[in-house]
Amino acid sequence: MNVTFSGVSKIFEPDIGALIDINLNISQGEFVYVIGQTGSGKSTLLRLITRELLPSRGTVTVGDFDLRRMRNADVPYYRRDVGLVAQDFKLIQSLTVYENIAFVMEAMSVPKEIVADRTRDVINQVGLWRRRGMHPAQLSGGEQQRVAIARALANSPSLFVADEPTGNLDFHTAAEVMKILFAINAAGVTVIMSTHNQAIVNSSRQRVIELEAGRLIRDEKGGSYTAR
Amino acid sequence: MTTFRYVLRDMWRLVFHHWVLGLLTLITAGVMLWILGITTLFSLNLENILSQLESELVVQAYLVKDSTIDVEQVADRIQNLEYVYAMRTFSPSESLAKLQQKMGSQSHTLDMIGDNPIPWNFEIHVNSAEDVEPLVSALKDMPEVDDVVYAGLVVRRISAMSRISSRVAWIMFVLSVIITALVVYNTIHISLYSRREEIGIMYLVGATRAFIAAPFVLEGTLLAFFGAVIAAGGIIAAYFPAITMIEVNMPLLHKILLNDNAVIWRFCVLLSGFGATLGWVCSYIVVARFIRSITRAG
Repeated sequence: MNVTFSGVSKIFEPDIGALIDINLNISQGEFVYVIGQTGSGKSTLLRLITRELLPSRGTVTVGDFDLRRMRNADVPYYRRDVGLVAQDFKLIQSLTVYENIAFVMEAMSVPKEIVADRTRDVINQVGLWRRRGMHPAQLSGGEQQRVAIARALANSPSLFVADEPTGNLDFHTAAEVMKILFAINAAGVTVIMSTHNQAIVNSSRQRVIELEAGRLIRDEKGGSYTAR
Repeated sequence: MTTFRYVLRDMWRLVFHHWVLGLLTLITAGVMLWILGITTLFSLNLENILSQLESELVVQAYLVKDSTIDVEQVADRIQNLEYVYAMRTFSPSESLAKLQQKMGSQSHTLDMIGDNPIPWNFEIHVNSAEDVEPLVSALKDMPEVDDVVYAGLVVRRISAMSRISSRVAWIMFVLSVIITALVVYNTIHISLYSRREEIGIMYLVGATRAFIAAPFVLEGTLLAFFGAVIAAGGIIAAYFPAITMIEVNMPLLHKILLNDNAVIWRFCVLLSGFGATLGWVCSYIVVARFIRSITRAG
């Protein structure tokens, strides 16, 4: 899925410019790092893509969807094509690993047998089959993030949005998570990931979009990152 | 089918997660709906008694003793009054015969009066006690009518009782519905509030609002339905013994009171359906409002 920002600004009340006049285009199959200091607008940019936020000005287009004009009733159907991974994992604590992943398919009325097969596949893909009966609180941070990735993969999304997915993880675990994200991207899925982890950005030389105080200051293919 | 299974599973999870609250809701809904049911039955029985009394209310209108009056024409005019349910005309001789029959062995005293003093008269039945006063006043306005005889005090008392009983029944109905609705509303609101983070996550990963709402709405519907079933059980347990006791002590009320098993059972089924509908409406309102507020894009 292509992602296009045209003249996008996001102003929070009373007058805080989280994003100012952003123009960018991300093509199908790209891997993009969104970097910048805390408060630079990285999360706001990703939340505009997942339609948790609406732009104050400009338009955000993802595939055929104009997110500003989208009806509320269509939002869940759009989100089924967008895999989301967050720094705080956003797992349902009362459900087990298996149920957290099966849930997204149950919400789509996918037949029981397909739910079982697909859930097993994605849990295996992130290497957590033996942990399937556990609740999120019983897992380590890295394992919880892998569950979140597995859940995002369950619907075979065309776009993968990861908001600081390695933010709470040690270097070794973060590297494992990145390996999974690269594998997803290799399958043709667009991946947009925000981070302020210098080592991760510099180790893989992908497209880098840098934000500073809500403005896009760099959009470079194969870019590096030096934290200021 | 997968969705239906999920909704059921999640609904039970909700019920057991807040089981104390659920139990309290069940008991409160049960008690309030029991009061509602008993008040309704009491009111229905009172209505039966009152309508029985009303059907026995008679207004007697006596015409002026004047041979030029066209009795048939007067009868037609009275018959056309909106308060009249049924009417019978009595000639002076019929009236005298009736009086003689009533007096039995004392009827010979009537011979002392001489000529028959009773004029043409009408025995009028009304639809309800409230119609008596306006009918009497309409009759008194007719120049052909000499006198109107009716049980004024009884009529006023029956009218007042009928009005009070229907007001009390309405007040009890509204109170019971409001209290049950509030209890269900609060229980579901607490369920929703305790899972607000989960609801946000569900919406974020592609669950529709209807899918998220279904277990909560079902929980509210089920709690109110079982509350109503408990109330129905309580009504059946209390009503029949009470009716039997009343009929033993007041045999006159036999056949006037509602004592048909089928009717009472149907009433209980209706009450259960009413409880479920009330639960559904309340939980739908609270769930729709809550989910809309936390899934709105900023």
